[in-house]
Amino acid sequence: MTDDVALVERYLRARGEDAFRALYRAHTPALYALAMRLTGGDHVEAEDLVQESWVRAVRELSSFRARSALRSWLCGLLVNVRRERIRVEWREVDAPDIEAAVDTSGPDDALDLERAIGTLPEGARDVFVLHDVYGYTHREIAEMLGIVEGTSKSQLTRARTLLRDSLP
Amino acid sequence: MKDLPREMQPARALEERVVSKLVAAGLVRRRRVWPIWAAAVAAALVVSAIGVAVLRPTHTPAQGNIYVLLLAEDSAYRPAPKGHGAERVAELARWADSLDALGKLERAGRLVGPGPIGGLFMIRAADDSAAARIAAACPFRKWGGRVVLKRFEE
Repeated sequence: MTDDVALVERYLRARGEDAFRALYRAHTPALYALAMRLTGGDHVEAEDLVQESWVRAVRELSSFRARSALRSWLCGLLVNVRRERIRVEWREVDAPDIEAAVDTSGPDDALDLERAIGTLPEGARDVFVLHDVYGYTHREIAEMLGIVEGTSKSQLTRARTLLRDSLP
Repeated sequence: MKDLPREMQPARALEERVVSKLVAAGLVRRRRVWPIWAAAVAAALVVSAIGVAVLRPTHTPAQGNIYVLLLAEDSAYRPAPKGHGAERVAELARWADSLDALGKLERAGRLVGPGPIGGLFMIRAADDSAAARIAAACPFRKWGGRVVLKRFEE
């Protein structure tokens, strides 16, 4: 039994605070890093995403069957929470500006890259972050995002092209 | 790409916000408050003698009944030596945690007012025998404390 499965079973047994905190501490740094990337470094929105993802996760945790790694499952959940939010935002505003101009100011290459990732279109950004930053396979990404592998591959190509064009 | 961090530590306050939200939604059960009163038990301010006893209910309830364990510091109770109260608190903590992990601990708290009974545990047990076994294992007994077991009915 993996540590994650043991942690999940411990939580499901009594839904105790300590058991949940153990799960939270094991996976939140990865979820938060992913959320920061998907929100273009907006820490307030990233925290909101992490919070909502955990609420969703504990509601659905009993259906987690350890077919995939818990972290992949949680990351996929967070990406989908983010996507649902964007769809709601689109209904609330007429002209969402999700493809702001790339800001390449600053001497730090990593920061430039972070900024550039933040300006990618949502679909391409999700796939790029999951594939090139986190190392998930297209098959895993397709499962997480509910898309086919071909879409994942084409979104990755698109993201890489946009990044190449936007970075100095 | 490998230079980008895959883990980042959010503000500590986020953990508390998440836990509070889950508690409010009924998805997480709050940690027990027993250490507060257990510390007082360890201080042993009240001591009068009846001895150790576990009173077993004769009725056999349906599975999953609630029982109340009352902890009384009678004269037989041996207070912790000065400076060793924390060890007793820690031992009670381990016992309570083991029940909690099994989903058998419902509530815990301190009882305030005159008399030797200073705290209680509400536990869930399949039947009287199972509840009695839990009560018998309570570390409070080995310090001379009396544990009274009663089945709780609403």
